[in-house]
Amino acid sequence: MVDGRGQVRPHWRRLLAAFSDLPQDYAGNGIGEAARRLDRAFEDEGITSLLPGAAQASRAWRCDPVPLPLPAREFAALSEGLSQRARLLERLLADFYGPQALLAEGLVPPALVFANPAFLRPCRAEGRAPAGPLLTTYAADLLRGPDGAWRVLADRTSRAAGIGHAQENRRMLARVVPNLFRGQQVRPLRPFFDRWLDSLQRLSPRGPDNAAIALLTPGVHHPLWFEHVLLAGELSCALVEPGDLTARGGALFLKTLKGPQPVDVLLRRMDGRHLDPLEFGGHGGVPGLMDAARNGTLRIVNAPGCGMVEAPALAALLPALCRRLLGEALLLPSAETHWLAGPEALAMVLRDPGQWLLRPAFDGGAAARHPARMPEAAREALLRRVAERPQDWAATRDMPPSVAPCADGERLSPRPVVLRLFLAQDGAEWQVMPGGLARVPGDAEALAGRLPQQGLAKDVWVLAEEGAAILGPAALPRQPLPIRRATGELPSRVADNMFWLGRYVERLEGAARLMRAALARLERGPLLPREFAELTALSAALRHAGLVQAEDMPSGAASGALQAALWRALREGGAVGRQMAEIARLVEAVRDRLTGDIHTLFTLPLRAVQVQAAAQHRGQQGLEEALAGVLRYSAGVAGAAAENMVRAGGYAFLDLGRRVERAQAIAAQLGFALDQPASRIEGGLRLALELCDSVITYRSRYLGVLQPAPALDLVLADPGNPRGLAFQLHAIRRLLTDIDGGPEHDLLPQAEALLATVEDMPLAVQAARDPALAAVQIAPRLATLAGEVATLSDNISRRYFALLPPAQSLGQEMAEEPSVLFWGAA
Amino acid sequence: MSRWRIRHATIYRYAEAVDMASHMLHLSPRPLPHQQLRWETLACAPEPARVSSGLDHFGNRVTWLFLDRPHARFEVVAEAEIDVAFPPPPPAAATPPWEQVAAEAARSGPVAEFTFPSPMLPEHAGARDYVAQSFTPGRPVLAALREVTTRIYRDFAFRAGVTGIATPVSQVLAQRAGVCQDFTHLMLCGLRGLGLPARYVSGYIRTLPPPGGTKHLGSDQSHAWVGAWLGPAHGWVDLDPTNDLVVRDEHVVLGWGRDFHDISPLRGIILGGGRHSLEVAVDLTPA
Repeated sequence: MVDGRGQVRPHWRRLLAAFSDLPQDYAGNGIGEAARRLDRAFEDEGITSLLPGAAQASRAWRCDPVPLPLPAREFAALSEGLSQRARLLERLLADFYGPQALLAEGLVPPALVFANPAFLRPCRAEGRAPAGPLLTTYAADLLRGPDGAWRVLADRTSRAAGIGHAQENRRMLARVVPNLFRGQQVRPLRPFFDRWLDSLQRLSPRGPDNAAIALLTPGVHHPLWFEHVLLAGELSCALVEPGDLTARGGALFLKTLKGPQPVDVLLRRMDGRHLDPLEFGGHGGVPGLMDAARNGTLRIVNAPGCGMVEAPALAALLPALCRRLLGEALLLPSAETHWLAGPEALAMVLRDPGQWLLRPAFDGGAAARHPARMPEAAREALLRRVAERPQDWAATRDMPPSVAPCADGERLSPRPVVLRLFLAQDGAEWQVMPGGLARVPGDAEALAGRLPQQGLAKDVWVLAEEGAAILGPAALPRQPLPIRRATGELPSRVADNMFWLGRYVERLEGAARLMRAALARLERGPLLPREFAELTALSAALRHAGLVQAEDMPSGAASGALQAALWRALREGGAVGRQMAEIARLVEAVRDRLTGDIHTLFTLPLRAVQVQAAAQHRGQQGLEEALAGVLRYSAGVAGAAAENMVRAGGYAFLDLGRRVERAQAIAAQLGFALDQPASRIEGGLRLALELCDSVITYRSRYLGVLQPAPALDLVLADPGNPRGLAFQLHAIRRLLTDIDGGPEHDLLPQAEALLATVEDMPLAVQAARDPALAAVQIAPRLATLAGEVATLSDNISRRYFALLPPAQSLGQEMAEEPSVLFWGAA
Repeated sequence: MSRWRIRHATIYRYAEAVDMASHMLHLSPRPLPHQQLRWETLACAPEPARVSSGLDHFGNRVTWLFLDRPHARFEVVAEAEIDVAFPPPPPAAATPPWEQVAAEAARSGPVAEFTFPSPMLPEHAGARDYVAQSFTPGRPVLAALREVTTRIYRDFAFRAGVTGIATPVSQVLAQRAGVCQDFTHLMLCGLRGLGLPARYVSGYIRTLPPPGGTKHLGSDQSHAWVGAWLGPAHGWVDLDPTNDLVVRDEHVVLGWGRDFHDISPLRGIILGGGRHSLEVAVDLTPA
């Protein structure tokens, strides 16, 4: 920030001035307030995960309000240097996975290739040059030393993680502190993504038109899952997991509702070693994926195996290799790094270990060890290990990274910064994203490791040339794209998740309604026999729904056990608590199908209910409040989905799941309500109307006269009652028609048969000589009907979600290479 | 020269239908200067939806089979006729000192690959020490190699069923028994511990009927032995510790790798299938 004469550099001066110009509602100089607003915005965005266990770590990533500015000239020099490095690394990879001439010439020691666990033999065929380019995305971690020169600390050739975070930081900063961008000449990021998308399309073996690009993620539990969601959105490509893909006939396909759809370009966010269990061992991945790649129908970005040139031990050779392969001097050097296989290097490092960072020689993603900061015993143990097997280690000279001002309360404090810049090959040359991810490593955090799961980042501003057109705030509000595809292209897994999300949200609501109905009766104190009969019926329904146990059932006047049981159900680990956790998981799994707003509506109120449920006071009132929160949540989800999600695609399955669940619950609950002696039918009918939220409607239609046939017509057969059974079955029939289109499929008749059964029931009661007796006789038939709805649900699952049996391996009982780290996130 | 006819049949039977299967085969003999393929066939049932083939990283021939129809049984039969005549090894005394071979290996790219630990063969001090007893200072490399081959043959009992395909070298050392794969792994592990390049060779060997008996069809087996490097002048020589032999004309080479994992004759990933049983029948007969 400060130049050699102690003067603040001009680009910093302009930036810091912007903070003092922030509007009045930013207290003081605005820095503290901006930081607080950013934290809140990231939290609302739900970057914070709702998943169990992650709830406590409230902030995964934070963004500092003070960006890191890079003047145009500095960025141009970095761009040139990084592009050269990218070209060099591509040449190296092409040789390692091809003729291996560099080994034959003795320019590269064999260990760098053959002892390198990231050298993937299945990606090389003897005598055949690899289909290039192998490297089309690249990132580098850079440090600026005390001399002001940037040096590369680590090359990221496997996946270039963090690019989505960089874009997110920019988007958030522009939204939360837009005034900061006034008068600054900040280059926007979006054009880079447009070009990248364009170049990904051009990598398609079928040609760029209609190239199908998919981003492969290990799934919702990966630490960088959110980044995968962001990136898929930014590149408008399908976000897929290995289970969504299938290789057939030498090509790769996405399993969708309308059958397999080809995938041409796979942007992988997984270690190459987990792509294909047939070739790499293990059980994950897609068998046959490598065959598709070899067959030329599929392009994997970056090609699996590219991670091998991340090896720190390679860094020392780059200047010589650059001269040999490109005929150029290396423009942007690595931080001084030595491979310790040579005795001189080892001796030098052991002489003064405090000056060095020790890193596994071949794993650029592993955290560096810092002997100077280790307790003596640990340091000695590490140095012994290094001396025993020096060929496994590399040492990078410890260099204090230059500092940049960061928000610290209301003021600024200098903190060290590591800069990650991103590049993409556009077919002709390498493009550097005019921005990046600046990380402020924590005190204990080693430099040069994988991206941590949390930390503080800064937006990186690349300033436009003086005199270039001034670009306004680079705010790129995400387009509200609730669902991108028509039903047919919906991946089966997404449809499956939507279906179950619908079911669980409805199940949660049903549970809350039942619990509330039971609570209302407990409140009344001594119960009349009629009320006690209702409570018994409710308890049976609660038990059927798995919400309480048999021993919690009320006996006589003692109903305290039931209240305690309802609390237990609501808490984490209880029946309702588990439903909420499952909803959180499913929302996260379909996150790329939800807008930010919808995602917020699907998550924040749920978190509030979880907090309420975990509260210490156990009183009846607290319980009622929590249940009211659940009902508000489910109503909010239903409303937000109905008003915001396009009808094709995921929404159809969300709604289908909801209707199936409600139909099943209504049938089961009415079965319990009507399970009375004929003489008590009135109480049963009253409960039936209450459970179906139809008391007011009934009263307005029939005044105070409660009779079996009209009441049953309202809750069973009236197609206009959204809490009645017929309404659900009509909706199911319509949704199945919408999803499949064709009249020929076999699910429709099943839905129609159920509807006919339900429509007949009140008619039969009406015609019966003793309607009360006829009404109670429906009870067992309703229980059967609930089972038939469950069967329909199973048939829907079987038809659309095509669950495959588990994979097993033959003839290679050995699991996988022990050095493989599944969660490698670099 | 010997002319052999090989038939290698593998049958998987599944308790439940397999919906999809992918198989990777190293069942095609590798053409070599001293091993000429006259003809070969590969048949499988059910008919695969896709067959592809190529060379792997080591230059071995690989075939991939993909099946996408439900099946409860999978059978693959590889047949070939082949002429084999490996030249006699150089006189042991004429080979360079083993230390020199190790030093040269470290410098020469493709050979050096076989000096490093591999997925199934991590470094093991016990194996290194066992093998090192024969590598006295300055000893010609082939003399030491022959002695190790003989020692393994003498010290270890051939016993089927006491080891599996993933048995670690430590267990083989401890129980002093195993099959060809185990002896080969032990020797490879020990040689690499000394910095000597050694590779896992997969193939077949002719077996003789028990004295007075007749040979049963399908009674031969897949075999494995050690390829060892004698330095740039003499190249590779194959040594069979299971039979205490230098490979000449009773072996047929399928291919080689760092360990069994690189060159397993047949492996696959199936979806479904439940429990399975495996039946392998190999015949190597003079043609």
